[in-house]
Amino acid sequence: MRARTLFPPPRVLVTKIGLDGHDRGSRIVAAYLRDAGMEVIYTPPWQTISHVVKLALEEDVDVIGVSSLATDHLIVPDLLAQLRKAGLGHIGLLVGGIVPEDERAALLQAGVSAIFGPGSSRQQIVDHVAALAAKAREVLNSHLWEIAR
Amino acid sequence: MTNEAVQLPLPGLDQANRQWGYDYGRQIGKDRVVKNRSGIEIRPLYTPRDWAGESYLEDLGFPGQYPFTRGIYATMYRGRTWTQRQLIGLGTPEDYNQRVRRILEAGATAISLIPCNSGFRGIDCDEVDPILLGTCGTVVNTTEHMDVALAGVPLGTISTAMNDPSPFTLLAFTLGVAKRRGVPWTSITGTSNQSDYLSHFIANHMFYRLSLPGSRRVLLDHIEFCRKNVPNWNPVSIVGQHMQQAGATPAETMGFTLSTAMQYAQDCVERGMDIDFVLRRFTFFFDISISFFEEVAKFRAGRRIWARLARERLGAKDPSSWRFKFHAQTSGVDLTEQQPLNNIARVAVQAMAGIMGGLQSMHTDAYDEAIATPTEETARIAIATQNILREEAHLCDVIDPLGGSYFVETLTNQMEAEIEEVIAKIDNAGGMYKAADAGLVQTMIGQSALAFQERIESADQKVVGVNCYQIDEPADRRKPTERPDIERMKEHVARFKAYKDGRSQADVDRALDTLARAANSRHENIYERVVLAAESGVTHGEIVSCLRKELGFGHPLALA
Amino acid sequence: MLETLVDRLMHADASALARCITLMECGGPSAEILHRRITPLTGRAAIIGFTGPPGVGKSTLIDGYIGALRARGHTVAVAAVDPSSPISGGAILGDRVRMQRHTDDPGVFIRSVASRGHLGGLSESMHRIVDVMDAAGRDFVIVETVGIGQSEIEIVEIADVCVVVNAPNSGDDVQAIKAGVLEIADVLVVNKADLPLADRTARQLRSMLKLRRENQDVPVIETVATRETGIDRLECAIESRIGRSADEKVLRRTRRMRRLIAQLAGRMVRDLVLDSAGAEMDALVKAASAGEVDLAAAVRRALKTVL
Repeated sequence: MRARTLFPPPRVLVTKIGLDGHDRGSRIVAAYLRDAGMEVIYTPPWQTISHVVKLALEEDVDVIGVSSLATDHLIVPDLLAQLRKAGLGHIGLLVGGIVPEDERAALLQAGVSAIFGPGSSRQQIVDHVAALAAKAREVLNSHLWEIAR
Repeated sequence: MTNEAVQLPLPGLDQANRQWGYDYGRQIGKDRVVKNRSGIEIRPLYTPRDWAGESYLEDLGFPGQYPFTRGIYATMYRGRTWTQRQLIGLGTPEDYNQRVRRILEAGATAISLIPCNSGFRGIDCDEVDPILLGTCGTVVNTTEHMDVALAGVPLGTISTAMNDPSPFTLLAFTLGVAKRRGVPWTSITGTSNQSDYLSHFIANHMFYRLSLPGSRRVLLDHIEFCRKNVPNWNPVSIVGQHMQQAGATPAETMGFTLSTAMQYAQDCVERGMDIDFVLRRFTFFFDISISFFEEVAKFRAGRRIWARLARERLGAKDPSSWRFKFHAQTSGVDLTEQQPLNNIARVAVQAMAGIMGGLQSMHTDAYDEAIATPTEETARIAIATQNILREEAHLCDVIDPLGGSYFVETLTNQMEAEIEEVIAKIDNAGGMYKAADAGLVQTMIGQSALAFQERIESADQKVVGVNCYQIDEPADRRKPTERPDIERMKEHVARFKAYKDGRSQADVDRALDTLARAANSRHENIYERVVLAAESGVTHGEIVSCLRKELGFGHPLALA
Repeated sequence: MLETLVDRLMHADASALARCITLMECGGPSAEILHRRITPLTGRAAIIGFTGPPGVGKSTLIDGYIGALRARGHTVAVAAVDPSSPISGGAILGDRVRMQRHTDDPGVFIRSVASRGHLGGLSESMHRIVDVMDAAGRDFVIVETVGIGQSEIEIVEIADVCVVVNAPNSGDDVQAIKAGVLEIADVLVVNKADLPLADRTARQLRSMLKLRRENQDVPVIETVATRETGIDRLECAIESRIGRSADEKVLRRTRRMRRLIAQLAGRMVRDLVLDSAGAEMDALVKAASAGEVDLAAAVRRALKTVL
C-alpha cells in the first residue's frame, strides 16, 4: 500500500481517552496507517483530554483517531470542544471501536466524522483518514503559499 | 515426548490407509491448506500411525499422576465439578453486593470481584469524570467500600478472586474487613487474580501503576506476606489471557505464560523462599478461544510441560507443585457485536473446549459482553450454559474424554513443540523479565495480531455476521444501553470525599510514611505496609500514588 | 502573515511553534524564507543531543532530565527523531509517550520527527527545527535520535553537548559503541545501572575512552532512569559543558553552522563526483583502479575536476 500523495505525509494521532485499557485495535490501525505512508503519533491508553489537546497542537496533526470501548466515547464531544477552543477545529476526528447504536448520532452531531466498528476494513479506514488529512491541510497549504509569495 | 511414527504390527492398516488417501485425493478435488491459530497444519485424518499410545505412561499418565496430561486430580469433575466463578463488577459497592448475594443464593460457591477501570488506573473515584465510573467494574477504594461490597458474604467459607493488580489493595481491604468481622486470615481463600505484572506490562498496560523493577519487588513481598499470613490464599495467578486477547497465538500464549511462571519462581527462590512453598500456590488464568481442538490441546500440553518444568527445571519435590491449576474465561475477542445472540453458541463451544481441556474454574461471558457489562438476564444465560453442558451434555461423566483421540494426542504433541520453541526463545533472551523489558514479547504479539487481522480481512478466517452471513440489522435490535445510575454514583463519590475529610489525617500520613520508607528499604515487606495502610483508612489511590512516587512510574514501550 | 506567525512565535505561542516546525519540515522556499527571518532571534538556547541504541531507556532518561531542568525553572523543547519505514514512507512515532510526566506542562514542548527516508537531508531540516525552537525562546532544546547510522550521528552533532546513552547487556562487548558515536560523546551514560552488569559496562566505556581519545574529560555517569537516580549528576555534567558567556554562545552557533556546512558540502561533493560524466573523471577513476594513481592523489584531482 504505497504512500499517499500528500506531502508532508499525513500526521495522525492515534489515542485512547477515558478508562479502558484494551489497545489491540488501535495498535493494528496504527500499523495500517504507517503501511499506508502516514506518520502516526501513538499514545497508550488513559490519556486525559487536556493532554490530547496539547499533543495535537505540538505535533500539528491533521487527524485524530480515538479508540473507544466501554463508555469512553461519552467524553469525545468534550474533547472536540476543547480542540475547537484551542484553535484546532480544522483537525478531523474519527472514532474506532464499539459504540452503542443509540449513542452514535450524538457523536456525529458533536463533530465526529465517522465511527468504525469491528467489521470495518483496512481500506475503508485508511481512505477515510486520508480524506480527512487532505481537508485539514487546506489551512497549512494556504500558509505555505502566503509565505512563499 | 516421543514423536516417531509407530510401527505397530497392524496387518493391512497401511494398505487401507493408502487406499483412503487415494480415494480422498480423487474425491476432494482441490484441497484446502488448513492451519490453526498457532500455525500448525491440520490434516483431514489422523490414524494410529500418528499416535498409538506407545508412551502412554510417559506422555499422558493417569489423572492425578505425573505428568498430569489427562487431569491434575484423580477424580476431576466426576468428583467435583469445576468452580463456576463468574466475574462481577459494576457500579457502587451496594450494586455489587446485590448481585453477589443473588448468585450466592443461586448456589455459587465462589465469587469474583472486578474493580472499576479507574481502580486499574490506580486512581480513586473522585479523580475522574463520574460518567466513566462503574461501567466495567465496581468502585472499591477503601476498606469501608469492601465491607459494603461483601456484606452478608461468609468470608471464611466463600472463595473470593480479586482482580487486583499490584499493589493488591483489594486483598488488603478484604483482610481489613475480615479482621473487623473476627474472621481469621488463615481461613480466607481465593486468588490475587491479576498479580502477573509482566502480562500487564506486555499486554494490558496496567503498568501505569509501577515501574517494572518496582512491580517485581512488590510481587515478591506480596507472595511472602500471603504465604506466611494468609496461607490458603493464592497470591500468584499467572495470566495468559491478556496476551492472547492482544493477539498472541494459543501456543505463544502458553509459552509466554509458562516462561513468566518460571521467572517468578526463580525470583522467589533467589529471595530465599522454598520452591515448593511457593509453587504450591501458583495458579494460572487463560482465555479460551473458539478454536476448539487447539484450546484442548493447548491446555493438555500446558499441564504436561508445567509438570516437567516444575519437577526437572525448578526442582520442586512436592507433587502439588507440579500440578497446573488454572481458571479460564471464554474469550470475548471471538464475540461479535453483529447478531449478538450468536455469541451464546460461541460461548458454549469455548466453554466445552475449556471443560475438555480440564480447567479448574471457569467464567463464561454473557452474549452482550462486547457492548456493555452483562445484565441480569444475559449473566443468567452465561451460567445456564455451564449448567447445560454439565447436566444435559454430561460433560462431567468422563475424565479427559478426548484423550486417546489420534488427532487430539497428535495435536497435543505438536502444540507442545510450538510452546517449547517459544519458551526457548524467551530463555535465549534471558528470561521473561528481560524479554518483556526489551520489547521482544510485544513485537511477537503485535506480529501475530496483525497476521490474524489480515486473515479476517481477507475472509480466510470467516466470522459469521462480520465477513460472511451478514444481515442488515434493524437499528432498534438492542434495548437502550444500561449504565450505572449516575446520580447514585455522584452520591457515592460525595460520601467518599466526606469520608476522607472525616479521617485522622495524622493516621493517614503516618501510614503513608511507613509505606514510603518500606519502599525505599531493601528488606522491609512493602505489602505488609500496604495492608496496614488499608487498615488505617488510606485509600487505593493514595497507596498507589505513594508507591509510584517511591518505586518509579511505569512506562509503556512504543510499538515495535 | 509571516510577521504574525513570527510575532506569535516570539511570544511563546506553542501553536505558532508547532506550525513553524511543520513549515520547516516542508522545506522549499517557504522554509528558507522563514528560517532567514528567525535566524537573528537564535543563539540563546542550549542544544543537547541524546543518542544511543534502542532499548537503553533514552526517552525515560530524557524525561527525568526534563524534570530536573523544569525544577530549575528552564523551558524545554524536545525533538524526538524516529526512522520512517523505507517501504511505505510512514512511521510510528512513539518516543514521546515515555515523557508522559510533562504532559500538562506548558514549559515543555515535545515534537516527534520522522526521518522521512531523507536521513541526509534531515540534518538540514533538524537544524532549522532546532533554530525555530531556539527562536521561540526555549532555554533548552533537546534532540533525541537512535544512534545506529552515520546520519543519525550527524543529527546529534548539531548539539552543543552530546550525550550517548548505553545500558548493560548480556553480551561481552559494549555493542552500543558504533564507529563515530563514541567520538562525538561529551557525556556517556550507563542507564539501568541497577542491573548486574552495569559496573562492567561502565568500566569498558572508561577504558575505551582512554584508548581512543586524548585530552578528554568525558564522564561516565550511571543512572537508573525509572527511579531518577543519577539525573542530578547528569544535569550537572551537561550544564558544565555548556559555555554560557556571550562569546561562548557565538562560538557555539558558528561551530554548529560550520559542522552543518561541512555535512552539506560533503554531500554535495559526493553527488558531484558520482554524477560527473566526462572523459577527465573517467580517466582518473580508471587510473586509480589500476593502481597508477594513489587514492589520496585521486581524491585531490577529483575535487579539482568537479569544483
